[in-house]
Amino acid sequence: MTAIAQTWRKVTGKGQAAEAVAAPAEATVETTTIETPAVEIAPNDPLVAFLQSAGGAVDVEALELESPGVTALREAGVALVVPLISGGELVGTLNLGPRLSDQQYSTDDKRLLDGLAAQAAPALQVAELVQKQAAEARSRERIEQELKVATLIQQNFLPRVLPDLPGWEVAAYYQPAREVGGDFYDLFELPDGQVAVIIGDVTDKGVPAAMVMAAARSLLRASGQRVISPGEVLERVNDLLCPDIPEKMFVTCLYLVVDPSTGYVRYANAGHNLPYARTADGSMELRAKGMPLGLLPGMKYEEHEAMMSPGDGLLLYSDGVTEAHGAEREMFGTPRLVDHVADPTSGDLIDGLLTQLQRFTGNDWEQEDDITLVTLTRTLGSGVQNGLVSGIDVRFTLPSETGNEREAMQRVLDAIAPLGLEERRVERLGTAVSEAAMNAIEHGNQGRAEIPVEVEVVTAGGELIVRIRDVGDGPQATEVESPDIEAKLAGLQKPRGWGLFLIKNMVDEIRVIDADGRHTVELVLQLEGGDGDGSNGA
Amino acid sequence: MTEATLSLQVRQIGKAACILDIEGDITAFSEEALMDAYTEGAGVGVKAVILNFTGLEYMNSGGIGLLVTVLVRANRAKQKLLAFGLTEHYQEIFELTRLDEAIGIYATEADALAAAV
Repeated sequence: MTAIAQTWRKVTGKGQAAEAVAAPAEATVETTTIETPAVEIAPNDPLVAFLQSAGGAVDVEALELESPGVTALREAGVALVVPLISGGELVGTLNLGPRLSDQQYSTDDKRLLDGLAAQAAPALQVAELVQKQAAEARSRERIEQELKVATLIQQNFLPRVLPDLPGWEVAAYYQPAREVGGDFYDLFELPDGQVAVIIGDVTDKGVPAAMVMAAARSLLRASGQRVISPGEVLERVNDLLCPDIPEKMFVTCLYLVVDPSTGYVRYANAGHNLPYARTADGSMELRAKGMPLGLLPGMKYEEHEAMMSPGDGLLLYSDGVTEAHGAEREMFGTPRLVDHVADPTSGDLIDGLLTQLQRFTGNDWEQEDDITLVTLTRTLGSGVQNGLVSGIDVRFTLPSETGNEREAMQRVLDAIAPLGLEERRVERLGTAVSEAAMNAIEHGNQGRAEIPVEVEVVTAGGELIVRIRDVGDGPQATEVESPDIEAKLAGLQKPRGWGLFLIKNMVDEIRVIDADGRHTVELVLQLEGGDGDGSNGA
Repeated sequence: MTEATLSLQVRQIGKAACILDIEGDITAFSEEALMDAYTEGAGVGVKAVILNFTGLEYMNSGGIGLLVTVLVRANRAKQKLLAFGLTEHYQEIFELTRLDEAIGIYATEADALAAAV
């Protein structure tokens, strides 16, 4: 009933104008005081059909039709209804009250009014059309404007330059859809020299998504500078975002902390697509579960670890890639992406993937959602590039046979000889290496000679790092047991447990990494600015 | 390489003490050699058993465990267990593992002998 009702209101004033025409000139003052209230006529009211075919002004009194519309007209004191017909369609009515002279409307009056209606109706229809088009144009303009604003916000909050990491290649690709989505990514250095890498996606599109993205990104940056643990960062940001985020909106986010000197990666995930690594053994999924940010406060985010060896590449992506549709409406899907990551002959992680995506979607594809890709590749030989003094990069393997821990120790000590470290520190490192190698041989690899223990000696980022890696099948001592001689004498503490305790006290830092089905112990000596003592005290 | 790379000499110093001269490695695989030497030296009812580490080349946590076993035996027999000739590094390990609280550590053979009686 909208069109008619609106028209009705607009025409009401004209009704009075018509009256003014019909009324004597001296009555002008009075006519302005007479108001015919708006009458709404439902589009399904029989009156509509009646007026449409009436062929001219209709006397309300004489109407033999009973309908809500007729009743409404009578209640409003309308005496004469003049249908406004344009293109065979009823576009409105002129409603007139009784003549001020108390006389009936004459045939002349009606003819005059019919003539007026015939002129007014098309004019009214045109005016309405123009108004409607103007409104549409304004709304289109507003949408365009909004898109511009959303794009602007989005682009302002994406990193303009990526950090330069020696020994690493970092690349990002971001292509917003026409209607900007809420994708974002970020890379920034942390106070301890590690690097935070973030990719995320805000549900919804346009300005609201862009605003939430901006907030999330700022919160992630601020929290990342204060806390290193990725799980804890997500936990904080979630709690901060929850009270302010609009209903039904949330943010998926993957947060990684990469140690560029070692390739050690810690990460946590808030419902984002899992990243994949391209390694010498194929693709590897970096799995982690967690609720998206902004849904429920008090969420915990599990933290995982991975190790990136020189040559390994990591791909982070948004669902704009995997959910892109081909010509047959099928989705690009994760398996295609994983295949690309696994196959080193399929080209660069980003460029190769975009080529495949383009082949899949065809040329006239209109991108449905933002596409964001971030890659981190540890270049070959990166262990040396950022080394200091004389960079060391020695790798060897030994069969898992008891006694080989001494061989491991000797080869490590030979490797580090050029560093000219203090004798005491060398001896301590030797003990740590032999203990760690013994654990790897006897526990990790269960003394199975055919499984090698891998040893890497590298200098990077002001540290000397000795990595001792096993397949991690056996039970691993994870807790460092402090020696209690009385307990040992009483047979309560196994002398075995002292190995890890010794290692911990022999080096500046020990890092234990379980990733990719392998167990790695990293023994670290600070080369510059180290305490020179190497002991953590006991 | 599981054979013991340890040679032990037992020296009886009067009736009061015996000295076990260690040459080589003390690891979990030294058990037989060390226990045999201990039995030989301590069997005659000495008051103290002195370990001479001057010839020690390498000792690991397995070796430390073994020393604890020796310590248990010495405690049962009410004998003192003493040591000398440890390098700074191994002395630190004794301290870290608090073995130094149960085994008297001395710089020289003479110091250890003096403490034995």
